[in-house]
Amino acid sequence: MSAGRGMSRALRAQGATLREAVHAEWTKLRTVPSTAWLLLTLIALTVGAGALATAVVKCPASCGEDTTKLSLTGILLGQAAVAVLAVLVMAGEYSSGMIRVTLTAVPRRFTALAAKAITMTGVVLAAGIVATVGSVLAGRLILPGNGFTAAHALLPLSLDGPALRAAAGSVLYLALIALFSLGLATALRDSGATIAVVLAVLYIVPILTDLGTLDPVWEHRLQRYGPMTAGLAIQATKDLRGLPIGPWQGLGVLAAWAAAALLAGGLLLRLRDA
Amino acid sequence: MSSTGTITPYRSGQRPGRDDFPHLLRAEWTKFRTVRGWMITVVAAALLTALAVVALAGASNGSQNAGAHPTVAIGPGGEAVTDDFYFVHQSLAGNGSITARVASLDTELPTPTGPAPHIAVPWAKAGIIIKASTRPGSAYAAVMATAAQGVRMQYDYTHDLAGLPGAVSAASPRWLRLTRSGDTITGYDSADGTHWAKIGTVSLAGLPPTVQAGLFVTSPQLLAPACPPAAICPPGSPPGQSFASNSPLVPYTTQATAAFDHVSLQDQRVKGDGEVGGAWRGGQIGFPTGIALICTRSPGHVCPRTPAGGFKNSAGTFTVAGSGDIAPYVTDVDPLGTVLKGSLAGLLAVIALGALFITAEYRRGLIRTTFAASPRRGRVLAAKAIVIGLVTFAAGLAGAAVALPIAERKLRSGGWASSVYPVWSLTSGHGLQIVVGTAGLLAVAAILALSAGAVLRRSAGAIAAVVVLLIVPLILGAVLPQGPADWLLRLTPAAAFGLQQGTPHYPQVTAVCQPINGCFPLAPWEGFAVLCAWGATALGIAVFLLRRRDA
Repeated sequence: MSAGRGMSRALRAQGATLREAVHAEWTKLRTVPSTAWLLLTLIALTVGAGALATAVVKCPASCGEDTTKLSLTGILLGQAAVAVLAVLVMAGEYSSGMIRVTLTAVPRRFTALAAKAITMTGVVLAAGIVATVGSVLAGRLILPGNGFTAAHALLPLSLDGPALRAAAGSVLYLALIALFSLGLATALRDSGATIAVVLAVLYIVPILTDLGTLDPVWEHRLQRYGPMTAGLAIQATKDLRGLPIGPWQGLGVLAAWAAAALLAGGLLLRLRDA
Repeated sequence: MSSTGTITPYRSGQRPGRDDFPHLLRAEWTKFRTVRGWMITVVAAALLTALAVVALAGASNGSQNAGAHPTVAIGPGGEAVTDDFYFVHQSLAGNGSITARVASLDTELPTPTGPAPHIAVPWAKAGIIIKASTRPGSAYAAVMATAAQGVRMQYDYTHDLAGLPGAVSAASPRWLRLTRSGDTITGYDSADGTHWAKIGTVSLAGLPPTVQAGLFVTSPQLLAPACPPAAICPPGSPPGQSFASNSPLVPYTTQATAAFDHVSLQDQRVKGDGEVGGAWRGGQIGFPTGIALICTRSPGHVCPRTPAGGFKNSAGTFTVAGSGDIAPYVTDVDPLGTVLKGSLAGLLAVIALGALFITAEYRRGLIRTTFAASPRRGRVLAAKAIVIGLVTFAAGLAGAAVALPIAERKLRSGGWASSVYPVWSLTSGHGLQIVVGTAGLLAVAAILALSAGAVLRRSAGAIAAVVVLLIVPLILGAVLPQGPADWLLRLTPAAAFGLQQGTPHYPQVTAVCQPINGCFPLAPWEGFAVLCAWGATALGIAVFLLRRRDA
């Protein structure tokens, strides 16, 4: 008993453990009203946009559609809510001054950042699963009415390999977007600046590559290494050979972006005053 | 109790401050210019716009793109034109006139095998034409019946005047007449051959003394998805062939056949009835027939070949068949429009700036001082909108004005033909539209972000909301099928990006108009009006909420 208390006191002298830090972060995250609103926005945007995208595609005209990818279109919009959430987790504390309290309680800065990353990833994964499952179900309900029937073998009724990979990959995609945004927010510390940079990096690349007048070499590079264009390769279930980057390799590129952002953020957090 | 007089409350010796609108504007401008980060951001927005546009122009390599330097005819104005039609003609020396009656006009889709199904081609043309020579791209004036656009008078490729409405048929034929007098050509139409109405008088500078006059028929290519409705799917192609909804449109060659009678060519110098009475010669102008057109269909598919045109004259009734078009050459790629998307970098900066201009006040509590100093909240927001709008407009104007000439020079040296991709000087109408439009886009986007910031009071949420509304539709437009994508780009503020269209479009040319090609469903300034409507609505909601809520 007493030995255990002594150990815990000794640990406490060096600051909170990762577990305690995660608990603290979880308390902060769940008691801020914006978290619930942003997660609801994520789910509503993802499912809503996915349902709309599947509702407007009819089979006789475009039976070749990648229906799995189409029903997950909403991730395009939902990721904006995830980015806002991740940015607020870190930059929100800088704007309110809360970061000084956080770092007083958890002086080890890598631990503090890891606790935030773990908590937020958990929350985003949970909401991402709801959003993705909702999108896939909405697609399953809507697509047969638009002529995409099992008779054409166009809609696999079970979540087989590629479809499961696309759905699970979309959830992972959201988590990686959250980590990427968290890393950038740690580096930049200002919520407005961070969200502008995150959304610029995500959204401008696909607009440029869609237009088809860039030098093909540059277009290919942008598609392979842009965080969104590469990461969303995970949603493709058809014509995989035509993709500029393979599904898992693409998600790997996004993971590299997230790791680089977290590393830069972590180092700056460690080196700078709060 | 014992006090007799009331106590005079303390009054400051200073004169009360002014609360009129110019002072409010000045206060907001002072707030803006004294925050160093904001001034840096607004300069950065101008620089980012210019640098990103120029950098993209450097990355747009025309020599790699088949569409960058197509083989085209060059029109009288130096512009690229399509001049492909079947011409039944005679020489006309000096002044004179040509008259003909169009009794029918049918269009069909020639297929490699089997019968040619009927297909509607709105701009299929049959009529009479006076042309400087048979060289493609030479000056002309023509009056024609079209399949779905009524009678038109067109001249020198880019000009189009409307005549009698309605389709042509045996029951309601169309009489057409062109008269030449020097460089002036006048077009007439009539439903009965006795009552003539003038459509227009045009001047073709430098028309030679002897011109070619006669009948022409042509039918433009039809743009459709690679495997469109059954009417277009050639026999033998697998049913329900798989193509994605956003698959690119491909050109299908069509052919029109028209019947003419009461054909008369009159020369003023010929005695008697003036009838020339020479022999009619038939010939294809422009592309040779039988050549397979660019065909991007799946491997193994037989590309439709250009059908051979021809004519038959049986007792004064001419049956003429032809395909092609007489029109400005409209390309489906827009390198300048793509390059101008570089302004998205500056756009994101001004969106952040617009939101922060009010959310920073909430964060620091300055908003309470602002409202204490100027309690009329609507006017405060109006002053903020004017300041942020003007500042970002100036930034956009500077960025775009510097970037446009440099980007155009880079595109030119990168291999994009100037006849197809015109160079807009800063003082030309279209150049002004691009530069002022880009500046306006930035300014109204900043005001939209300001309103979102006032409503949400959080910078991250406000910025993300505006980006999702303004920029994400551009991405979705490339994902969704054309119909819904068009509606998305009509209704969302992204409609305003039409201002950055770099290649001209003509209503008389059916071209690929897909957002993916930088073509927008609304006219540029209509699209800008949509953005302004969003901005005004958001500003209204923001004023309403500012008045109702505590600060």
